Amino acid sequence: MAQRTVLPLRDRIGSITSGTLAWAYAALLVIPFYYFIVSSFKTNEEIFESPLALPTSIDLSNFTTAIEQADLGLAVANSALTTLAALVLTLLLALPASFALARATGRAGKIVENVFALGFLIPSFAALFPTFLLAAALGLFHTRTFVVFLLPATALPLSIVILTSFMRTIPRELEEAASMDGASSLQVLRQVYLPICVPGIATVLLLNFLSFWNAYLYPLILIGPDTAQRTIQVALPTLKVDAGTDYGVLMAGTLFTLLPVYLVYTLLQRQMQRALLSGAVKG
Amino acid sequence: MTALLDADPRDTIDGGPPAATRPRRRGTIRDRFPGLALPALIWYAVFMIGPVVAMFVIAFLSWPGMLTTPEPAGLDNFSRVFADETFWTATANSAIQIVVGLPVMIGLAFLLAFYVVQKPRGHRLLRYLLFIPALISAPATAMVFYAMLNPDGLVNGALRPLGLAGNEWLADPSTALGAIIAVELWSGIGYSAVLIASRLDGVEGEIVQAARLDGAGDWRLAWRVYWPIAQDFIGVVAMLQFLSMLFNSAQTVLLLTQGGPENATTTLAYLIYRKAFVETDLGYSQAVGVVLFVIGLLGMWAIRRTLRATH
Repeated sequence: MAQRTVLPLRDRIGSITSGTLAWAYAALLVIPFYYFIVSSFKTNEEIFESPLALPTSIDLSNFTTAIEQADLGLAVANSALTTLAALVLTLLLALPASFALARATGRAGKIVENVFALGFLIPSFAALFPTFLLAAALGLFHTRTFVVFLLPATALPLSIVILTSFMRTIPRELEEAASMDGASSLQVLRQVYLPICVPGIATVLLLNFLSFWNAYLYPLILIGPDTAQRTIQVALPTLKVDAGTDYGVLMAGTLFTLLPVYLVYTLLQRQMQRALLSGAVKG
Repeated sequence: MTALLDADPRDTIDGGPPAATRPRRRGTIRDRFPGLALPALIWYAVFMIGPVVAMFVIAFLSWPGMLTTPEPAGLDNFSRVFADETFWTATANSAIQIVVGLPVMIGLAFLLAFYVVQKPRGHRLLRYLLFIPALISAPATAMVFYAMLNPDGLVNGALRPLGLAGNEWLADPSTALGAIIAVELWSGIGYSAVLIASRLDGVEGEIVQAARLDGAGDWRLAWRVYWPIAQDFIGVVAMLQFLSMLFNSAQTVLLLTQGGPENATTTLAYLIYRKAFVETDLGYSQAVGVVLFVIGLLGMWAIRRTLRATH
């Protein structure tokens, strides 16, 4: 009985704490955002004097300085090119593989699948130096090309797991009907499997877009500081100088690198929902 | 990621129709060996497995610089590593980071997920906000925190009116590691909460109602009902965040403190980076890589044991 009187109090405290915690964390997420967005329109003095005040005017000079100083325009183009090429390559490798693994009934398929699943355990970061040697051995050191080759490899385990589980839901009868009509494996993949897998492909694209666009250490080590080749993530930290960083410019640069991510996320999110909806209607 | 969990039960689904109904001509070999998986497999072997294997080889070579010829060194690198004070400092820093950071991150993420799943007012907004850190790259996060933690930044600006003296958070040896852990928590809690919430959403309403009828309040509901059901999934999230803290934190360290002041933020992952690319002591670097690989496996095993499914 004593417990009955104690518990409600503890529970009330519990629910108050989890609610407070949740909104406190939300505030901690929003405040840095607010801070760096308003800072990107201010000068150092204004930032130090009144960090949370709204900017007195919408002055875009920090943005133009950031873009000029770190060559951000070129860097965005490099990032876009690298990300896009790596995404295409990922799908070219992962789609046929998932298709084969989803259809495989023998032991070989299971083994290959497990090899990919083990990839979650590989600390590719620890092997950064051998990766660097591989780039040199292929004659692709300090090029975007090598990063385009490498990023899909890092993304294969997750992409294949997602796509395979999607393709498993496709009934074999559909495929058999197509094979009877004399369609080859690749035709079956293209005409039967791909259209049904659109939501899965969208998921894979969204996840990999984020990780490719945001990749930092690989491009830093493998592409290097050459402004003609470097990606946006490598270019951004160059705005931070040991003595006398212009914080307004740094924050403007940061905002600039985040815009494409939010843009694509919003677009793909909507596309994903639409795809899922249409899939449900068909089913 | 979630697929790690449900990879096994799916095995049974693929009974498929008996082989005889398939056209003979297409050959059973193709069905038995997934040939279309070969390009991906080769790609994966060259770019991922190859470098890891090479890491194990280089760990046993004496290779004091890119331009010198590597020579077999037996266990010399390892004895050098274990005799090095910096290595033990880095081990201690990594240990603090994980022993303090991981339980806090997973505990808070679980409470957040639990709160969101109850659908309180504003839960949609909350879900949207929780996703923010997952979208931001390590350099962007680091730059924002660099601006906030600098002596004239937001944190000191907020402390000043309260009459508290500010601090050079990233330059003070006693707070630098804490600052790095705070950045990790900031970016890790939200994403973990989103993942855990997706699992908690699947908890059946009947179970929750039954517990409510028994007089269970929020606190008991969270830890006695939701946690046990989601425990194995939370284990997977914990493993992900463990690996990310152990390895990827090197990026944050590189961007914010370069391991300083006085090695206060040198973690094992950052030590690998520094020895390879700054000091070009390649054998040493890869020996630490092997050590970190083993720690990673041991840690995953420990998490799995602690948070194994109870049912």
